[in-house]
Amino acid sequence: MKIQVNEQALTLPSAMNIEQLLTHLEKPLMGSAVAVNMQVINRSEWNQYDINEGDNISLFQAIAGG
Amino acid sequence: MLFEEMIKNDQLVIGDKQFESRLFTGTGKFNDQQTMVAALKASRSELVTMALKRVDMQHRDDDILAPLIKNGMNLLPNTSGARNAKEAVFAAELAREALQTNWVKLEIHPDPKYLLPDPIETLKAAEVLASKGFVVLPYVHADPVLCKHLESVGCAAVMPLGAPIGSNKGIKTAEFLEIIIEQANVPVIVDAGLGSPSHAALAMEMGADAVLVNTAIAVAGNPVAMSEAFAKAVQAGRQAYLSGLGGQSTEAVASSPLTAFLEASL
Repeated sequence: MKIQVNEQALTLPSAMNIEQLLTHLEKPLMGSAVAVNMQVINRSEWNQYDINEGDNISLFQAIAGG
Repeated sequence: MLFEEMIKNDQLVIGDKQFESRLFTGTGKFNDQQTMVAALKASRSELVTMALKRVDMQHRDDDILAPLIKNGMNLLPNTSGARNAKEAVFAAELAREALQTNWVKLEIHPDPKYLLPDPIETLKAAEVLASKGFVVLPYVHADPVLCKHLESVGCAAVMPLGAPIGSNKGIKTAEFLEIIIEQANVPVIVDAGLGSPSHAALAMEMGADAVLVNTAIAVAGNPVAMSEAFAKAVQAGRQAYLSGLGGQSTEAVASSPLTAFLEASL
């Protein structure tokens, strides 16, 4: 399955939900936020929200700031 | 009344949270994570700001969140990087998921040179975010009229600036902060520009409910010791405010009685 993650083309080996995608990309669940096609997805839905072919995924991470 | 007794009845309440410390701190610009955590602990701050960024797919970022949560700090994500209301609302929604808090420091500064907040976009975003259930703390210029508008659209506090972000210039907006403090029905947190503990103390003496300090602590020669100095200054300033400062006058007012007691012996 071909998707875009932060403007980078990516081919996933199998169908997966958001939680599985973060694990696949070795990104932490804590402190992360995800938008699919510019729609923010609630954390509680991450393990049910299936990623579709062509989805544009944006990943964000909490960092230090003032 | 002892100060201990005085502060017992002097808790700061913002939204659904009660604070003992009136010093809020930022997590940016520290040299390393260990210093950051030590400085934040020394500040006794109960509310610390964080930012968001787009994940770099090539690199792994330091996990700064775990030590903050472990130390029981409340997190205040900001919307830094947003250039308009729409982007700020999007950033706030992302931050809510990333940090699991509906608190947000709303900041919209399109100009990178002075990082001055855009009042029109900030008011628009504040109204949307408050209606979506966010606890909104907007970073704004020291504009009394804007602060009243932000209060009326449901902001939980207002955060007027002392001077541009990271400038360490102190309180350049004193006259207008005084008006804001006089008129506000929500807590006033003086944010940005506070470069030394005396600046923070002055804000508190003026009656600010809290201050937010980041750069002055993070870039200090010894950030941990500076953090403690700010904590003391904030406490001293608050105590002075609660104690009722004496008035000023142009002419001298004698501190010793002028009884002319020497005249008789000459």
